[in-house]
Formats: sequence, C-alpha cells, structure tokens
Amino acid sequence: MKRKMKTWKQRQNRSGYLFMLPWIIGFAVFTAFPFAATIYLSFTNVSSTILGFEISWTGLSNYITAFFKNVEFVPALGGYLKMAIPYTFVVVVVSFIIAYVLEHIVKLKGFFRTIYFLPVIIMSGPVMSKILDTKVSDMELLTGHTYSDIFIIQMIASYSRSAASLVTDVFTQLSTILWFTGIPIVLFINGLQKINPSLYEAAKIDSANGWQILWKITLPIIRPTALIITVFTIVQLGMFDINPVHSLIVTYMGNTSGGLGFAATYAWIYTLVVLVLMGIAFLIFRERKTKVKHY
Amino acid sequence: MKKHITKRMISEKTMRIVYYVLLVCVSFVFLEPIFRIISKTFMTPEDVIDPVVDWVPRKLSLNNLKVAVKVLNLRQTLTNSIVFSGILAAAETFCAAITGFALSRYEFAGKRFWYVMILLCFIVPTTVLMIPRLMMFVTVQESIKFTLIGTPIPQVLMAVFGQGVNSTILILIFQNFFNLIPKSLDEAAMIDGAGPFRVFMHIGIRLSLSTVLVVFLFAFVWNWNETYVTGTLLRSGMQLLPSKLSLFDSEFEGVVSSTGSAFKLNEAYKMAATFISIAPLLLLYSFVQRKFIEGIENTGITGE
Repeated sequence: MKRKMKTWKQRQNRSGYLFMLPWIIGFAVFTAFPFAATIYLSFTNVSSTILGFEISWTGLSNYITAFFKNVEFVPALGGYLKMAIPYTFVVVVVSFIIAYVLEHIVKLKGFFRTIYFLPVIIMSGPVMSKILDTKVSDMELLTGHTYSDIFIIQMIASYSRSAASLVTDVFTQLSTILWFTGIPIVLFINGLQKINPSLYEAAKIDSANGWQILWKITLPIIRPTALIITVFTIVQLGMFDINPVHSLIVTYMGNTSGGLGFAATYAWIYTLVVLVLMGIAFLIFRERKTKVKHY
Repeated sequence: MKKHITKRMISEKTMRIVYYVLLVCVSFVFLEPIFRIISKTFMTPEDVIDPVVDWVPRKLSLNNLKVAVKVLNLRQTLTNSIVFSGILAAAETFCAAITGFALSRYEFAGKRFWYVMILLCFIVPTTVLMIPRLMMFVTVQESIKFTLIGTPIPQVLMAVFGQGVNSTILILIFQNFFNLIPKSLDEAAMIDGAGPFRVFMHIGIRLSLSTVLVVFLFAFVWNWNETYVTGTLLRSGMQLLPSKLSLFDSEFEGVVSSTGSAFKLNEAYKMAATFISIAPLLLLYSFVQRKFIEGIENTGITGE
C-alpha cells in the first residue's frame, strides 16, 4: 500500500488548526454563540423554572420598556456617555504626555516607570472603591471646597451649565481617571520607541524645534497606537462600577426569576453604544489623505 | 553663535525640570492612596481620631491588621485566592501559548480571519456575553446533575479554551515572542523527524520559558483582580480575597455603628483590609517588575 504524501500546504493547514483548535472551540462556545444569543434574548422574556429556562418571544417590548417606560436606563446610558467620552479623552492625552516625558528623561527612568505601572497590578473593583472612598471623604473633610467654586469654572458655567459640570466632573475625578493610564502609557512608550530616530535627526538638520517635531513627526506616526489605546480605554472604563450601565445590568442579572431577558436588552444596547464610540474613535484616528502641495 | 547655544542649553534645562516636576506630581496620584493605606493600617485608634496625626502614626500598632485578618478570614481566603488565580492563570497560559504558536508558525487557510477574531474578542464587552454564558452553564448543570455554578469549573473551562481575562493580550505576547525564534530551528527539528508537538515543546516552550513566566504572572494578576465574571459564576462558592474585601463594609457595619469617630475607626480597619489584599500583588510586583513592563512592551499590540 502506498501512503500518499501530504503537500506542504496541507501539513501547514493541519498543524495550524491543531494548535488553534482549543481557541476556536472556546471562541465558538463562549464568545460567538453568547454574542448571538444575547441579541436573540434581548427580544424575549426569560423566566427560570424548575425545568430550566423558559424563553418566550416578546418582540420589541423590552426595548420599549427600556427607552420609554423605565426611568433608569436612559439616564444611566447618558451617565455612561458623559463619563466615557471625557474620561477616554483625558486618559489618552495624559498617558501620551507622560509616555512622551518618560521617553525624554535620562535619570530615574526605571524608577518612574515602576510607579506608573502600578495601576496595572493593583487595580481591581473593590480596591478602587476603597481608595476612592478615602479620597472623597478626605477632600471634603480637609477643604470643604468643591471645584465649582473656582473662578474659571464659574465663568464656564455662565456660558453653559452642563459644560461646567462636565469640567468639574473631570477635575474631581482626575485622580480616578489617572488610574486607567497604566497600560496606555506602556503602549505609547512602545509606539514612541519604534519611531525611526533618523527622522528626528533629519528634522533637526532642517532646524525644526522640539514643538514642531512633536506635531509634524511624533503625533502623525503615533496615530494608530492612539487608536488602539482609545479602544482599550473604552473597554476598560466599561468594566468598573463607575459605569452606571454596568451596575444596572449586574443588578438585573442577579434577578434570575425574570430579569435575564431584560438584562440582555440593556447589555445589547450598551454594546451597540460602545461599538459606535469605537467607530467614532476610528474615524478620528483614521489615516487622512494629505494633499500634496505643488509649487 | 555662542549666545544661541547657551540659550538652547538653558531651554533644554528648563524643559528637563518641567518634565521631572510633572512626573513627580502625577506619580503622587498613584502613590498617595498606597501610602495612605499603609499609614492608616499601622495607626492606633488614638492616632486615627487625632487630627494632628496625618501621615506618620505616633505609635505603630498591629491591632488594625489583626482585626482585618480576622474579618477577612485571611488564611482561608489567601490560599483560596492563590490556588484559584494560579489554576486559571496556568490554563490561560497554556491556551495562549498554543494559539500564539499556531499564529506565529503556520500558514493555514483563514489565518487572517482568526487573527481578526482574536482581536475582536478583546473589544466585545464582557457584560454582553455573561448572560448567555450563565444560562448555558445553568442548563448544562441541570442536565448532567453536577454543580457547576459556585465552583471554579466554568471559569477554568473558559480559560482552557482561550476565553479568560485579557486572553488576547496574552496570545499576542506569545505570538510576538515566537516570531523572534528563527524558523530554521523548526525545520532542522522536522528534518530530524520531530512532529509539530515536539517542535512546540522543545523549541517553542524551551526557548521561551521567561515569556511563559511573564504571561503566567499577568494572567495571575488579572485573574486575581477580576470580580465581575467571578461574581457571576463562582459567587460565594469560594471565599476569595478581593470579593471578601468588597463585602468587608457590610460585614463590618454590624460590628460597630459608623458615625463620627467610629466611622474613622472603621476606615482604619478597612484600610488594613485593603492593604492585606494588595500586599501579595505589591510583593510580586517588587520582585518581577522589570519582566512585567518588558512583557507588555513586547506584545506588539501597537501594530507593526
């Protein structure tokens, strides 16, 4: 009997899928299927009985309840957007600045990096809430002031109250927001290190100063990294109790007698919103075709 | 000309000072809570109430720690947490290694598709996946008459099949490291008759033991800090340190009513409990911090 030799390509395929198999199974069972199931469940009412889950189709009624009948969901979603957009912006900008500075110092580089990586290690829901507890109480006890008393904030408030509240919010929460900069800083440093140093040299020879180099070379090159970091930050922010939608969904999930279908509706709408946010980030950071000027 | 150069040097010097001031100021945000936790942990009750004592306790006391250890049921929860995170981390590391190996070594049909799927897994919020996952496990549990919810089994399964916490990042770390190993090594081994598994074990894993360690540590830390999936699937089936910490408030409320100075006293206990629950991670970090930072830098998640 003659055994047929396999081609190189067939062998590559077989071995590749052999190693990929566990992940593919996991993806199908624990991610792809649940994702589709959530969409389906969001149109149903799930009640758990002794025999298992009973799923009944209810059409759009969950959505109608979520948007028009329940008073909690729309404000929570608004609260999420009000939090996610400015927070993500601040995280991306601050982590870029810190990464840039960390790349431009010589002494104590390792020391500062160790500190700035700390959030990655110790950040978890319970620890965060403990830290924030002390923060808030300390602030009130020590000063008795709030940021809304500051002159500039009041100036903004005279133009638009909501803008002022947004700014005060960002400032009061600044120390919380900064805790999300752990991995973004490392990723930005990584991106900065990949920039070819000869580009900087060429710019210096053309007598560009540091500011010009930053805007004309560093920022355009770092843009794809910034996109990834933005997406990462949006994902991260969603996972903590500071996200009102998240805690709402968790509450409904705890209610197994009838809340699961409803929780699915909330979760699905929330996911759509998150995807839209990521789409916007993508549009902001996409490669723009620059017009070449001819002289 | 000379004037120009001195001016430039001065401006560089000021920039450097600005940089350091900025770094010190922002690092305060991360260090202050940690120092605050540590200082409160060792204060005597008198020091906690005394408004004059701010940072440094007059007398070191271990009383807060003792109370926190008792309330947290430390011996039990600590071993539970270590075992739990360790098992999940090992499972996740295993799957990340083989998946990373496949992506780095083989040109199989649909590779790009799976690569995109791996990245997509990272974007999808876990919140949206947990409801069907929970229902799935409950249904399976009913049909095979074997308790799953309340045991670590569901999470171990998810980790083994590559859907654990931040699995995508771990896969990318492995893939990038395997890319650095020359393919000629594989070819030499294959000519000597090694199958794909032997190549994986003897070339992939042997050469990347330090990467294995880094990935394991990351997975360990992330599983340790993860509370949402754990809270949904494990619930109170196993007492873990972080979840016990979040219950600390309610458990303590009953012991002392929290108003006025009693509130501050409670806070010292809470800080002691927080200190205990982050101490293992800080200890770990102090030993291998360089590996951690290098590990995440090597993910190549920023795109080539």
